[in-house]
Amino acid sequence: MQSIVRWSVVVGVLVVALGIGGLVPQAQTQTFKVCSDISWPPFEWTDAKGQFVGFDLDVMRIIAILKGYKVDIQNLGFDSIIPAVQAGQCDIGASGFTITKERAQVVDFSDPYWESNQSVLIRTDSGLNIITAFKAGNKIGAQRGTTGAQWVEDNVINQGIKVELKLYETYPLAEQDLINKQIHAVVEDEPAAKVAVKASKGVLKIAGIINTEEQFGFLVRKGDPNKLLPRINDGMKEMKKKGIWNNLVEAYFGVDVNLDRVTQCWADLKGYLDKNQPDAYAENMAACMAGESYKKP
Amino acid sequence: MSSNIVVRVEDLHKRYGNEEILKGVSFTVRQGEALAIIGPSGTGKSTLLRCINRLTEPDRGRIFLEDTEITSPHVDINKIRQQIGFVFQDFNLFAHLTALDNVRLGLMKVKGFSKKEATERAMHELARVGLAEKAHAYPAQLSGGQQQRVSIARALAMDPKVMLFDEPTSALDPELIGEVLQVMQELAEEGMTMIVVTHEMGFARSVCDEVIFMEKGVIVEQGPPEQVFLNPQQPRTRQFLGKISELYGGAR
Amino acid sequence: MSVILSWDTWRLLLAGTVVTVELTASLLAVGLVLGVLVALGQAYGPRPLAALCSSYERFFRAMPILVLLIVLNYGLAFLASTYELLWLRLPAFAVAVLAFGLHSSAYQSQIFRGAIRAIKPGQLLAARALGMTRWQAIRYIVLPQALRLAIPGWSNEYSGVLKDTSFVFAIGVTELTRQGWQIMQRTREVFLIFITVALIYLVLTYLGTWLLEWVERRWGVPGLTGQRQEEYGRVI
Ligand SMILES: Nc1ncnc2c1ncn2[C@@H]1O[C@H](COP(=O)(O)OP(=O)(O)OP(=O)(O)O)[C@@H](O)[C@H]1O
Ligand SMILES: [Mg+2]
Repeated sequence: MQSIVRWSVVVGVLVVALGIGGLVPQAQTQTFKVCSDISWPPFEWTDAKGQFVGFDLDVMRIIAILKGYKVDIQNLGFDSIIPAVQAGQCDIGASGFTITKERAQVVDFSDPYWESNQSVLIRTDSGLNIITAFKAGNKIGAQRGTTGAQWVEDNVINQGIKVELKLYETYPLAEQDLINKQIHAVVEDEPAAKVAVKASKGVLKIAGIINTEEQFGFLVRKGDPNKLLPRINDGMKEMKKKGIWNNLVEAYFGVDVNLDRVTQCWADLKGYLDKNQPDAYAENMAACMAGESYKKP
Repeated sequence: MSSNIVVRVEDLHKRYGNEEILKGVSFTVRQGEALAIIGPSGTGKSTLLRCINRLTEPDRGRIFLEDTEITSPHVDINKIRQQIGFVFQDFNLFAHLTALDNVRLGLMKVKGFSKKEATERAMHELARVGLAEKAHAYPAQLSGGQQQRVSIARALAMDPKVMLFDEPTSALDPELIGEVLQVMQELAEEGMTMIVVTHEMGFARSVCDEVIFMEKGVIVEQGPPEQVFLNPQQPRTRQFLGKISELYGGAR
Repeated sequence: MSVILSWDTWRLLLAGTVVTVELTASLLAVGLVLGVLVALGQAYGPRPLAALCSSYERFFRAMPILVLLIVLNYGLAFLASTYELLWLRLPAFAVAVLAFGLHSSAYQSQIFRGAIRAIKPGQLLAARALGMTRWQAIRYIVLPQALRLAIPGWSNEYSGVLKDTSFVFAIGVTELTRQGWQIMQRTREVFLIFITVALIYLVLTYLGTWLLEWVERRWGVPGLTGQRQEEYGRVI
């Protein structure tokens, strides 16, 4: 997710001004706090029971198993995560953070773990396509401060095409306006757009993909005082080598992003993680999501 | 010092800003004596009364309650005040408390009575002023005369050595004045030592044993009521009494 | 879009409601205690203390609640880790109560100061004349009267802070608005969920105001607390 850096920067400056950066003694504990704004499916969301589910969180849990430490997942406002990491209240930020220069000045990022593109969301009955969606006079929705909004500015409006860009606090509000025929299209990260399509039960569809190729990374405090980045990067490599990574991607970002189904499979299978068996977990998650037979732990 | 003197005031001075309100006032009040203080408005009568329990701090002079010099910086003034009943012109009953609680509060919190003892004592005092049946009424539910009687009961409950009254009937409608004066008269007859600032010349004359006429911060004349009222020595006193009888239709 | 929220959704919203209510009640309690002390300090304290209380009030009233929340949150974390004061590592809920409580105390002290001013000076004088100490007079005469007079002001403060509590998610306390937000992100049922959240806030506002009115009536004293219009009949 690439929500506004504004608050993070304001707060970051404040925190640094208070002299907080770089003064905390090294924690010897084997439990690390992972902070995430758990409201951006399918990367992280709270399920109907209020449990924390999502791709980012599973990656964090599995790396912890592979590298022999524990994670304590904390639900925190997106804009507060970087300041909290700087202040030592969080050890890792895992919340679909796009790697940007500004952020890299105040925190350290892991290797990129996801490449995100923008998709163009339209009403199925509108007859628009990825070209006609941006016709002059059309209204385009996006969440304030996101790459999607930036892309419309740079590649449509600044190219002289007079569309009206409408900005929203969060994407679901833009999608609702699209359903209500207040706007013509929404530009949004692809996995999140798939969630919207699924939830709309056919009212919305993806007209096409725009390659923006921004990269997501996990982040830790500047200087990585807990030596977490090598473990995270190594852990991701190990996941890929063992096939865990592919199975997880399959489960969370398959053609049809079905949150209810993921939640159900996760509830059935999370026991594997408790038993430190990430391979079996990922394999069965993929099978469960594909509608194939799977084995409960 | 004669042991039956309850209050002794010696050369009391008080100034507010540039204005000297009390310019050396001295007098004594004996056990069981009722002293009336009369005089024109703004003369310093209230100031004098408040100095006696140090609600106002005098600048100079000494005040004794029996053998204790209460103007001494070493006395615990709260201990002294318990022994001096004070009745205000505008009653000042505690607005959030019933008549009973008004009388009981000081007994419980200041004198350390148990609730039961305090209630008994308070009911006794309310009965004494004829208001037992109003024990559970709030001040706003009482007439001015009734409120003033409760405030007298509140002061009496503390078992004071002397009662100070600051124009206790001045805020009352004429038809309510009598009931308060009645209570005060009974008190005087029971032998309570009292200092009463008043414009009720009839009361001063028939109930009090001694009258002080004060003007501009000094005592102009002092003596038994017959002398002050019937045969005043000072022209100022005569003048004042003449004006009073014009205003109030003569002494009652 | 389903017309009725599922039981699971209700459960989450109710959990959020409980947090919102707990937070509001705790912050009002903290604000009340501090606010009363500050108001008493201003009204009856020696001059330096009164000045200190005034600065306190001005400082916390000037501070936007979000800034206060964040400064306190990271400030405490900083002190905790720099000086190894582990007891300063407060849970987010406690930090929220503290930040909002300090903020509210400034407003509550003002409400209370107004109430103290409305008490006739003769009340204190009469108490001292009975031999009560200054503190006893404040404790038994000023406090009970001022607390009653302050109730209508608190009713306003309550509805005000209730809404502000939605800020606390910034530091990770999942209250009502945030629960609604999370459910919306999962279900995309924007309208239904926020209408429900709005209704819950409405009910909370109504209940709180009603409760304070009840307290005001229950504690009411004839002649001291506001006479209700009914008692006089409509004037106009
Ligand atoms: N706290 C105060 N500060 C300044 N001046 C005061 C104060 N209290 C009283 N005075 C002034 O002192 C003078 C005497 O006041 P005091 O109340 O003692 O008079 P009084 O004889 O009781 O008059 P009245 O019959 O009107 O009650 C008045 O001029 C009054 O304005
Ligand atoms: Mg007077």
